[in-house]
Amino acid sequence: MINLIVILPFFSAFFMALVYLYNTKAKRYVFYTAVGVGTPVVMTILSFMLAYELLNGSQTIHGTLFKWINIGDFDISIAFMADRLSVAMISFITFIGTLIHIYAAGYMKEDDGYGKFFVYFNLFMGSMLLLVLADNPIMMFVGWELVGLCSYLLIGFYHQDAANIKASNKAFILNRVGDFGFIMAISLLFVALGEGGFTFDAIQANIGSVSHEMLTLIGFLLFLGSMGKSAQIPLYVWLPDAMAGPTPVSALIHAATMVTAGVYMVARYSFLYVEVPDVGLFIASIGAASALFAAIIASYQSDIKKILAYSTMSQLGYMFIAVGLGAYSAGIFHVFTHAFFKALLFMGAGAVIIALHHEQNIFKMGGLKKHLKVVYITMFIATLAISGIPPFAGFFSKDAILVAAFASEHYVIWGIATFTTGLTAFYMFRMLFTVFFANKKEVQHLTPIPKSMTQPLIVLAIGSVFAGFLGVNEAYGGSSWINTFLALPDTKLHVSHSSEYMLGALNVILGLMGMGLAYKLFAKETKEPQTNTLLKSIVINKFYVDEIYEFIIIKPLLFLSHLIAKVIDPKIFDGFINLNVWTYRKSGALFGKLQNGKVRYYALYILTGVSAMSFYILIKLGVM
Amino acid sequence: MLDHILSIIIFLPLFTSVVFGIFQVDVKVLKIGAFLSAAVTLILVAWLTFLFDPHATGMQFVEHAPWIKNSGISYYLGVDFLSLTVLLLITLLMPPLYLYMKHEERKGYWYNMMLLQTGVTGAVLSLDLVLFYLFWETMLLPIFIMIGKYGNGMHQYNAMKIVLMTILGSMSMLFSILYIGYMHFETVGTWSFALYDLTDIVFNAETSIFLAAGFLLAFVIKIPLVGFHTWMAPAYGSAPTPAVVIMSSIMAKLGIYGIWRFGFGLFEETLIYYMPIIAVLALVGLLYYAIRAITEDNLRKMFAYSSGSHLSLIALGLILTNIYGWSGSLYLIATHALASAGMFIMIGLVYKRFKTVHISELGGIASRAPKFTFFFAFFALSIAGLPGTGGFVAELLIIIGAFERNFWIGLFTATTMLAAMVYVFWMLQRTLFGPDNSTCQFTDLNTRELVMLLPLVIMLILTGIAPSLFTPMFEPQLSVFLESALHALGGVK
Amino acid sequence: MSPNAFYLLASLLFSIGLVGLVSRKNLFVLYMSIELMLSSVSLILATLSKVLGDAGGSVMSLLIIGVIAAEAAVFLAMIVNLYRAKKTLDSDRFTMLKEGEKND
Repeated sequence: MINLIVILPFFSAFFMALVYLYNTKAKRYVFYTAVGVGTPVVMTILSFMLAYELLNGSQTIHGTLFKWINIGDFDISIAFMADRLSVAMISFITFIGTLIHIYAAGYMKEDDGYGKFFVYFNLFMGSMLLLVLADNPIMMFVGWELVGLCSYLLIGFYHQDAANIKASNKAFILNRVGDFGFIMAISLLFVALGEGGFTFDAIQANIGSVSHEMLTLIGFLLFLGSMGKSAQIPLYVWLPDAMAGPTPVSALIHAATMVTAGVYMVARYSFLYVEVPDVGLFIASIGAASALFAAIIASYQSDIKKILAYSTMSQLGYMFIAVGLGAYSAGIFHVFTHAFFKALLFMGAGAVIIALHHEQNIFKMGGLKKHLKVVYITMFIATLAISGIPPFAGFFSKDAILVAAFASEHYVIWGIATFTTGLTAFYMFRMLFTVFFANKKEVQHLTPIPKSMTQPLIVLAIGSVFAGFLGVNEAYGGSSWINTFLALPDTKLHVSHSSEYMLGALNVILGLMGMGLAYKLFAKETKEPQTNTLLKSIVINKFYVDEIYEFIIIKPLLFLSHLIAKVIDPKIFDGFINLNVWTYRKSGALFGKLQNGKVRYYALYILTGVSAMSFYILIKLGVM
Repeated sequence: MLDHILSIIIFLPLFTSVVFGIFQVDVKVLKIGAFLSAAVTLILVAWLTFLFDPHATGMQFVEHAPWIKNSGISYYLGVDFLSLTVLLLITLLMPPLYLYMKHEERKGYWYNMMLLQTGVTGAVLSLDLVLFYLFWETMLLPIFIMIGKYGNGMHQYNAMKIVLMTILGSMSMLFSILYIGYMHFETVGTWSFALYDLTDIVFNAETSIFLAAGFLLAFVIKIPLVGFHTWMAPAYGSAPTPAVVIMSSIMAKLGIYGIWRFGFGLFEETLIYYMPIIAVLALVGLLYYAIRAITEDNLRKMFAYSSGSHLSLIALGLILTNIYGWSGSLYLIATHALASAGMFIMIGLVYKRFKTVHISELGGIASRAPKFTFFFAFFALSIAGLPGTGGFVAELLIIIGAFERNFWIGLFTATTMLAAMVYVFWMLQRTLFGPDNSTCQFTDLNTRELVMLLPLVIMLILTGIAPSLFTPMFEPQLSVFLESALHALGGVK
Repeated sequence: MSPNAFYLLASLLFSIGLVGLVSRKNLFVLYMSIELMLSSVSLILATLSKVLGDAGGSVMSLLIIGVIAAEAAVFLAMIVNLYRAKKTLDSDRFTMLKEGEKND
């Protein structure tokens, strides 16, 4: 059964692709919807069945497809492993994925490439599940790369526009830079302990035989992969540009699933990371920096999807703070709750965009509260959740992270994270108020939004409300159920209940302050931020990071390429060869000059030759 | 018949072309004849593969007959895992190429391709040094004519360049061959150029280094490794598509084959001396070619550089001399040949429709021709080593092999992941996507072209998803060969 | 009388002839230089014949004179023809066997 979950989407994608390529013009709306949305539904049911089994006390479920390769010690099978961590992940991935597929059926309805879209979307689901359910690092890497490929295909879906293709290239290239680190880590791991088998179980058993330095290196290189995949500093620049893809893509891939793969990876390798807390600290620091950095930029962005993109990057930073400091369950818990409200936010944004005929600038929106009721209410709930207001989901997961940060005595990180909480509330409510409140002029005619788009919003809103209850701390009366379920090697923390209450209260206050400030500034009337001060222009231009990368990396690379083409290749290598050719030619000409047709010279040559021979003979004869 | 199957495989195309040439047949008959010869050869090779025993040591299907008795030159053929791989590749690629050439009316194309097939097949199956040299030179002649007569751009200049540079290598190899034969005479008393007789001779260190250099020069120019490569881009750019496909997919691999068969076969101890140099050249070449490819506007030249980059990777895998490096090399030989052939055929199709191979003149193909886009992107991504295609498996193996040796070599080898991606993706962006700015009609692939490309795609996917189908074919013999090589080498580098 | 004087004279004659052959352009002078060289050889032969008491040297000497005569006829006839062809006695102008570009 576990094999089926992964194979099914690949087969449906392949099947739909064949049908699509056979005749790309035919609409076949019903067919593509049935197969394209039906598949995730089946996958969700299967995932829940697996989860149910594990909840009832089964051990990890394994399934093998076939042996992939067997050379030397390198013995890998395409095999799957559903332990508690993966089953938790696939449950929400398939569930939210299905909702987004339904949403996409409405969103993409008029598009010519409808069939192609679902091919890619299903391919993505298969790849993501491959990544999560793989039982060895190689298969996980295959899934990892394939989700990158799907991201590339989907971001560049509207491929007539060159800007979209640039964005998708950027995504794939930066992902691959991360993958470069990832594959080095896997290779080093294999070289270190491949003899004992290379499944996650085997690696976990043998991890003690690897030296500490090597583990540090491997941990760092693995995280390099996460930096790319989960858009942390410095490999994040693809995420805002990725918003060029259709909104369902942003919702599924760049909010709920693919970007969280990096966090999942750290949790999966938790047995390694517990040995190297220094790397963990590094991870947490990058997370904190990314969280703050993204929040600052988001506060000045005008494009609704870009705000959400930076928000995702910021929340991912929180997840990395958690897993970096050893609170793996807290990190995964936040992945889980974040998936609900972030997907909801993106889908709501998509609804707004469609309603306003593809307008994405929030300062051109306003006063939509009355006209888009369902969207408004659901997005309001999601915004409350992301700002960490109890009892919504975000409160419990964020709180868990901040408590962990505080308890681990890394106060700088805790401070940054807490401050960012306030900032998060601020920019999120800024967005909400600007879009739905501020009275703009009259509201033009709105495109109606199909039910297939609004109903998933409702489901997700419910999730955003209740999902948090899975991980309530003891301080608040819960039993951290999700922590016990996941059974990850979390560092044990000792925080008194009163400290927890204080921390919780602090977060809520900051959240409310952010909300209030946003209300004051944006609820009544708004104007787009101008780049009139130096500081503002730096922030609005996203700290010029893209330009810096262009300068440090792209320009030198192009320069080097041109250098090789114009100088090194022709002048040095070819030059050496041409030197030879020139030498031959010149010597040839030189010898040619000897034959000038004049008798006297020939007589001279005879003279020279005979004299030389005579001398030689005379010397040999001993006369001279 | 089984006894002489290798000879038939080698000489059938030549025989066909000679017979048809004598009778000056019409071009239509010639096409059918050529296609038949390729098809029959393919069937024979398939049968051979079926009968091939992966667990036997030594050569199989051996044919040994004395040729020039006094000089010890014999007609000596045989096949093992390495030869079989290259043999399969050339035989598999010929029918699709003939399909591609279906409307080619110039007879010279067909004669040359048949001669080429004979040359390559013979080179790969020869076990006698002089016989090998004979076929090695035979390969060059059709290429020279194809580029020089049917090429475009500065084709005569480029043809001369490739021939002269390759012959430089061949000459030095010939010198080494003759000297080795002479040494055999000196030590044993009879003349012989058969490979297995010569492996027993013990050379002293300095002579051995020079002799190895003679061979290595020829192979290193063929691959080509950085420093010896300036013939490659112009030649690939000027050559017509069938020639380019064979050059990239097959002939370049013969350089690797040469090092493998003769370097490790004859000169095992001396090879240690050259390994660092070759490794450095290979690593540098990997990145050098890739960086150069970024700003190349001509698609053929861009993939010439790509070919150089991947061949440097294969050479590196070979030098690593461990099970992962060798398996990865062999696997990459096969998968890159398929992907590269597919890519150059696609470029050829672009040329047929658009009369240009310059990226700056292309764009927006995706909007008009989805099937074409799929195949084009697929081959390009295979070359970039996407998981799911065979290229990934091979690169992964080589990277692991590199890390087994040394962290820094591993690091540089891993950059292959980054290298191909930059030029491939930028190229895809500009040729396939973007606004539709083509001026002429771009028809999508027709059935003949689909039939031609589909086997390549299927093979690439199969090698990517299920390597275990293929590894048992070569792993036993490869391990044995590796054992003996390591034994001769003594210690680790 | 010491034969050395004769050897010296012969060497002198030969050298003069050689230098003349190599450095002078006039066809007649070329011819005269060749004659000089032949004469010097003849002189040496005669001297050696006397010194060694061998009559063969003298015989060769007389033969040489005969050959010189025949050669003179041929040579002078050639010079006349060459002059008729190119109207010049400059040996450097006769370069049809030259390598390279077009010649006279």
